[in-house]
Amino acid sequence: MSYMIPMSSMMGERRAPGALEGVRVIDLAGAAGNYCGKMFAELGADVILVEPKQGSELRHMPPFVDGEPEQSLPFFANNTSKRSIVLDIETEAARGVLRKLLKTAALLIESERPGRLVELGLGYEDLQRVNPALVVTSITPFGQTGPYAAYPASDLTCQALGGFMSLSGYADGPPVQPGGDQAYAAGNMFAAVASLLAVTHAELTGKGQHVDVSIQECVAMALENAVQFYDLEGTVRRRWGGQQKTTAYGVFECADGYVFLQAAGFGETRHWQNLLAWLKHEEIEGVDRLEGPAWEDRDYFNTDEAKQTLASVVTPFFRSRGKQDLYHEAQRWRVPFAPVNSPREVVESPQLKARDFWAETPGLGRDRVKVPGAPYKLSDTPWSLAGPAPELGADTAEILHELGVSSDEVAELTRQGLA
Amino acid sequence: MTKLPLTGVRVADFCWVGAGSYMTKLLADSGAEVIKIESSARLDAVRLTPPFKDGIRGVDRSGYFADRNTSKRSVTINMKTSDGQALARRLISQSDVVANNFTPRVMKKFGLSYEEVREFNPGIVYVAMSMQGTVGPDRDYLGFGQTIAALVGFHHLTGVPNRPPVGTGTNYPDHVPNPTHAAFATIAALRHRRRTGRGQYIDMAQTEPTVGLLGASILDYTVNGRDSEAIGNGHRRFAPQGVYQCAGDDEWIAISVTDDRQWPAFTQVLDLPEAQWPRQCETEAGRHHNRERLDAVIATAVAGRDASALATELLERGVPAGRVASAADVMSDPQLVARGHWVRLDHPEMGKTAYNGTPFALSRTPARLSRAPMLGEHTREVCREYLDLDDREIDRLTADGVLV
Repeated sequence: MSYMIPMSSMMGERRAPGALEGVRVIDLAGAAGNYCGKMFAELGADVILVEPKQGSELRHMPPFVDGEPEQSLPFFANNTSKRSIVLDIETEAARGVLRKLLKTAALLIESERPGRLVELGLGYEDLQRVNPALVVTSITPFGQTGPYAAYPASDLTCQALGGFMSLSGYADGPPVQPGGDQAYAAGNMFAAVASLLAVTHAELTGKGQHVDVSIQECVAMALENAVQFYDLEGTVRRRWGGQQKTTAYGVFECADGYVFLQAAGFGETRHWQNLLAWLKHEEIEGVDRLEGPAWEDRDYFNTDEAKQTLASVVTPFFRSRGKQDLYHEAQRWRVPFAPVNSPREVVESPQLKARDFWAETPGLGRDRVKVPGAPYKLSDTPWSLAGPAPELGADTAEILHELGVSSDEVAELTRQGLA
Repeated sequence: MTKLPLTGVRVADFCWVGAGSYMTKLLADSGAEVIKIESSARLDAVRLTPPFKDGIRGVDRSGYFADRNTSKRSVTINMKTSDGQALARRLISQSDVVANNFTPRVMKKFGLSYEEVREFNPGIVYVAMSMQGTVGPDRDYLGFGQTIAALVGFHHLTGVPNRPPVGTGTNYPDHVPNPTHAAFATIAALRHRRRTGRGQYIDMAQTEPTVGLLGASILDYTVNGRDSEAIGNGHRRFAPQGVYQCAGDDEWIAISVTDDRQWPAFTQVLDLPEAQWPRQCETEAGRHHNRERLDAVIATAVAGRDASALATELLERGVPAGRVASAADVMSDPQLVARGHWVRLDHPEMGKTAYNGTPFALSRTPARLSRAPMLGEHTREVCREYLDLDDREIDRLTADGVLV
């Protein structure tokens, strides 16, 4: 496809066909759906972002590139490998073009408030007549039906109403939102699975369908076993951040930040024994206080006394060493242990470098922008970055031309300010 | 019955613990025939992880296991025995997908690495989702969701400035980022197979999809050289935004004012007189500039209010809000209940218990969930159906410690 801008890794190399080659996706969504479209794009689908004249809402979301205001990093991160067409769907002329586009598509992803596309004549029922095989995926805070369907929301309020936030935060302080807009992220990811299931069905049978994704429900999937705890044992799981959940399970200070130790908690004592072996090898003072009959009792691990004893033994040791050093040492002893890394440390990770994880593309006014690369490595149909997030409307003329819209019509649409 | 999207796809599922089992559950709920290969000789740790029905431990009593393993069948094959490995090979030879989430050396030990499987089933889609992937200096490192969240920056980005990072309190990457990405890649690979007859190897490091979700923070470093910190409950643009304590024990409300039109309604519902906030709060930038001052005013205004009632009042006036729902609250949340999110499935040992339904509704081919299998519940039928074993041989292999 001609639109693909070569990226650094492609010096002379052709892009292998992706697993989703030949699937066209129309991405009419905002933050709740753009990552879903990106997942399709980077396995080979042709994803066309449809934006209003002022650009997608996400284009106005900070953080921005310093010195180049309104170059949004969240927008860029979620829209690589797509093309952009400007269509003001408030107008019938633009909707006509959109319908033409949808005739050629397998999937429409949208995140308008429930009912809005129906008002515009673009509801699933209408679109089914345009293209019976089309899958329409709607991603909204609460889904298309139910008493909250019309309510407004933000990522924060979805995290709260989905219950996820009740598990995150300080034992002695407020619930805290998991970072990075995880409610929208969850909606995007489950929507991608659901959409691909529906596209599979459409490819097998010729029949499209409507996929209704509720972000609140997606967030509820992140509650781990908390709902079952209430259902089966009548207990409500609480947040425990800033301290150990159970002995040897939590965050600890080290010389240059924090580390996370997870040597208990999965019904096994193997990792606890590994931890003891490591501490003994290091000749940590007081390690003998972690031995004895009490430590064979699982319930003892949940007591404050046990937590404090462990903390008093390991804290001076951890504080004397750096997080990367502790990480590799602990893993040598088969202790589940990790540094609490910042984004800089993630970018510098030798493991991610060795896996050739990072991808590069021109964009944001630079020759090279380093972005997260393949979330999965498919041997026969590799993930691939097809280019930067598009400039607003950059591909409008090209896409209209592909659709067979005549130059005169394009001129007229442009004159009307619709495209 | 309508065929589901993955009807006819058979999965030999070696996954255990969190992310892997949950990934194959997504396939199973959508029609794939998922055969979970487990063993009493090396139990899936989640079978031993609470909560348990009535608080009584037991391999068939964990609600955690049940929720993550719906719609599957369970066979017990002791993979430490060569007979067990041979049976697994026969099962794989009749499967479309092999899935595992071990460190890379484990499947090799069983003689079931991709290279080996490809020899006798060239069309196989082979999904390996170890913590750090198949290559690299840390490939054999071990961990769980929480350690992954720490390693990839997620834990660091969650918390309140000047306090320790807090994370999610859960093994988050196991429950959303990893199973969804792995399922997406697998279904995509099945499409390729349908079109070309070719299988392939999918190497997914469980660290990597989660890094992908933090794209904006990663770019803030790679583009701006700025190493992001946690921002508490705030937002880079919206203000006010926060979580404020209400009346009652540990009751909180989350509020985001996401545009200027919401501001007057917000001040009315909270009964905030104009004297309490500067005039510039009528614009988003002004509110953001004064956000700390606003947070203090709001904290006082909501302190005695009922979180649910206040949230409803704000929502009715178009302001995004919500109580911070506990695990108990979500089970009776009117919206989740109306959507049928919680499904109760009957289990021989646990009775009727709560499971998550799928968080998406397909109008033509809705997911179909059946309860989680008991340990080895389907050993006999799978052995008869696919391995051509008769009852005598099955009894012998059970006595020999192979089918256990």
